[in-house]
Parts: sequence; structure tokens; C-alpha cells
Amino acid sequence: MNNESQLTEQESLELIARMINKAKSDFRETGIGALMWGTIITVCALVSFVNYYQHWRWAQYIWFLTFLAVLPQIIISVQANKRKKYTSYNEDAMGGIWISFGIGILLLSFFSSWSHLQNAYVLFLIFYGVPTFATGIARRFTPMIIGGIACWIFAIISMYTIFPYAMLLTAAAAIISWFIPGIILRKRYLKAKKNDV
Amino acid sequence: MFKDLDPLLHSQLRLAIMSILISVKQAEFIFIREKTNSTAGNLSVQIQKLKEAGYIEVIKEFKDNYPNTSCKITPKGIKAFEEYVKTLQLYLQVKK
Repeated sequence: MNNESQLTEQESLELIARMINKAKSDFRETGIGALMWGTIITVCALVSFVNYYQHWRWAQYIWFLTFLAVLPQIIISVQANKRKKYTSYNEDAMGGIWISFGIGILLLSFFSSWSHLQNAYVLFLIFYGVPTFATGIARRFTPMIIGGIACWIFAIISMYTIFPYAMLLTAAAAIISWFIPGIILRKRYLKAKKNDV
Repeated sequence: MFKDLDPLLHSQLRLAIMSILISVKQAEFIFIREKTNSTAGNLSVQIQKLKEAGYIEVIKEFKDNYPNTSCKITPKGIKAFEEYVKTLQLYLQVKK
């Protein structure tokens, strides 16, 4: 780009719009985080469902996997931050929403087990929908908007569902809200990376 | 009578830099260079001019043990950019 080029007013406006679009379109989510959480929640929910009939001792602790997954999530986030050549206000807001969600889920987990809360899975499903829907709206990413709405629909259905079947709804919610969007994001990321080479 | 367009912003590369910085919170030098498709030397000169005018802030830090330069727009820069766009729109309305 040559600095000395004389710009007309129209060209100036076009340049501004082009640069803003270039900066905004640079964001590339790897999809790893969404894929990881989609897989973990699906596995935990399905194991809980099967365990209702099988009574495996180890399977009682399957949801602890979600606590262990926080570590790789931190590594994923740190690596993503290192890779990024810019920071945006939108990403800060997204980070805030997902951190609040993480803390909220942690507190809800403790509270539900401490108070032996019945049908806690309904609250979890409602919670799952919030950051998913917000991310979908903020990023204009329809699969996550659908995912967020799906979580809330499954939450309503699970109010009228007995325990083991509510776990199937939880698994379905994780697949629709995170796993499928994760696959889409991953494909986009790999395609964009290939085009860069 | 029209206001004159800010001469500091009415140049291709400086306007491109400001347009990028208005849409992000902070951007690395290399990111701006890639997006504007400019040379490092020319970009440095224009960034310095914007910095001297108080339109942007230049942050020098270390990233993975290497020096890394980032830029962010200042409130003065945002105001100047908004004024520039408003003036541009006025010019274009009259030309219609």
C-alpha cells in the first residue's frame, strides 16, 4: 500500500470499509475447545445413562472428567492467545461470558451435590444454553444459536423426563450445541489454514 | 463552508492503519502490515506520525522472548477518525 496515493472521498470510505472487514474476518476459531467439551459432556451423559442399568462403580465419578478437562482448556486458550496477532472487544466479551459460565457451572455442581438437588440436569441444560446462544449471536454463527435454543428445549423436555432419559437429552444437547459447531469451526479453520499456505 | 479533511488521516496507509485499529482493541505490527500489504519501513514511519499526533499508542513488549510491537487507537484518535468520516459523508452528500 502506497501512502502518497491521492484518495477521493469515495475511495476513502471504501478503504475504511475494506480494512474494517479485513480486520474482522481475520478471526479463526480452531474449534478444538467446542469439540472437546462436546465430546466430554456427551460421553459423561451417555455413561451416566448406561450406568443407571449397569451399576459400574467407577462410572459414579465420570463427571469428574469435566473438572480434569479444565486443564487442556486452559492450554488451548493460552495457545490461542499466543497465536493471535490482535485482540478485540468482542473476544473480551466472549471470554467474560465463558468464564462466568465456567464459574456458574462449578458453583451449580457443588450446590446440586451439597443440597442433593433433584433434577439438577434441568438447570445444567438451561446453563449450557446461555453462553452457547450468546456466542452464536455475537459471532453470527447460526449452529451455536440453534445449539443454545436446543439446550433450552431439552431443558423443558427434561422437566417431564425421568433421570436416565434426561441424560440422553443432555448428550443430545452437547452434540448439537458444541460437538457439531466444533466440527464446522474445525473444518473452516483447516480450510482457511490450507488457503494461507 | 466545509471543514477540511484531516490531512493526517487523508492518506492511504495512515487511513488504513486507523481503520484497522478502530475495529480491534489492539493489533500487532505484523498484523497491520499483513492487512495493509505495506512494507515494514513505510508502516513504521506512518505509525510514528500517528503516534506523534496522539492518535495511536505504541506498545512495546516481549512475546515468547522476542520483542513485539502493538498499536492501539487512543480516545483522541477515535474522535479524529469519527470527525474524518463525518466530513467525508458531508462531502459525498453534496456531490450526489
